[in-house]
Amino acid sequence: MQFKSPLRRGRRSLAVAAAAVLVTGAGIGVARASDHQDNPLVELNPAMDMTDVYAFPGSSPDRIALVLNSWAFITPAQAATTSFDPNLLYQFKIDNTGDAKEDRVIQVSFSGTGANQTVSVRGPVVPPVVGAMNNQVASADPVVTGKINQTLGTAGGIQVFAGVREDPFFIDLEQFFRIVPDRKPSTGALSALPDVASASSFRTTSTAVDFVKGFNVLSIVVEMPASQLTAGGTAKLGVWGTISR
Amino acid sequence: MLINRSYTRGRRLLAVAVSAGALALTAACGSDNNGATAPIQTTRTYNQVQRLGNPLVSEVFLAKKDHPFHGSIGPADDAASFTASVKGFAAAFRPQATTLQTTLAAVLLPDMLIVQTDKAATSAGWLSWALANGYGGRKLTDDVVDTGLSAIFSDLLDPTQSVCKPGALPLCTDNVASHSTFTSTFPYLAPPK
Repeated sequence: MQFKSPLRRGRRSLAVAAAAVLVTGAGIGVARASDHQDNPLVELNPAMDMTDVYAFPGSSPDRIALVLNSWAFITPAQAATTSFDPNLLYQFKIDNTGDAKEDRVIQVSFSGTGANQTVSVRGPVVPPVVGAMNNQVASADPVVTGKINQTLGTAGGIQVFAGVREDPFFIDLEQFFRIVPDRKPSTGALSALPDVASASSFRTTSTAVDFVKGFNVLSIVVEMPASQLTAGGTAKLGVWGTISR
Repeated sequence: MLINRSYTRGRRLLAVAVSAGALALTAACGSDNNGATAPIQTTRTYNQVQRLGNPLVSEVFLAKKDHPFHGSIGPADDAASFTASVKGFAAAFRPQATTLQTTLAAVLLPDMLIVQTDKAATSAGWLSWALANGYGGRKLTDDVVDTGLSAIFSDLLDPTQSVCKPGALPLCTDNVASHSTFTSTFPYLAPPK
């Protein structure tokens, strides 16, 4: 899977590197950011590529919103047609006992593809299987089901949105890899940056480039009373997102 | 497509066998759920390919060869697996700052977003649980790159030997700010471009 060029006008040095890649016929990939295109498997399977996870207070202090973003660098032209992979299980996992093992999970799955795709959300529920492998979908009926790209559920209970949103992440990734070149990707435009450090500081505000600006991601947003996550444990949570196949 | 279908079929067969084993294990060993597990809907099983808690942990602190491994395990195994990597990355830039190296590893591993739901919502923000006993979590507006850079290069976590002040050149900010216009109501993220 190749992405269209992530480059925008004015990103001159990056454009030069990208042009070199284009001339060779290799096409252009794009590099990882927060966790964008984290490893070769997800570079080849963008639906599996989780980019960022967020957790913050919701519409009132006793509610919590969780966000799981995936599918890095969706262009505006691709935004209307990109949907979640119905063969994958997306989960928020919550530890509320301090042992870094999930005590509650929110399981998100999809049916169909394209604009008519539907999302089903189960939980928060005690996980049928704890750990990274052999996870299963709980038998409980979904608490929310409906089409993607619209707000589902109730404002006082659980609210769900699954669909295309602007990628909120921001970073001058090119300069980061100039400073720390051994973290640069092995494919794509940024792989053409020097192998040895070619900068020792970040660029100024007027010359820094936000590499993620202009791209979209597939967002899963779930908001609920925090008490649904602290149940059976303490007020201190450990939250992480997973994508499984 | 034919290849994919046959692969899927094979995987399903395997899944049935694996799930039977998993059920037996669950019954025999119990789990970390206050003694309870939810009923299972189907025999289809899913194996983790991606995991994300804190931003930048895998990307910045772990060598690229370790990324698939990080994606295949849970946070309970993080401290044993990655403490040396996190300390080592910080040590490469600040070899004398041993307190900083230890603190970084303790704050970022296990790799989960820590949320203190009983703290003031106004104190929410990445690592605020560690820096100010706040709500923690991660807001859409958080400049996690600058926070991460400041954690490594400034006195954010270690008052000694800081090489820059938070938010200052050369290494405590990438000078890029959020480009999104977030909404104050659900679902908060900006519409697509």
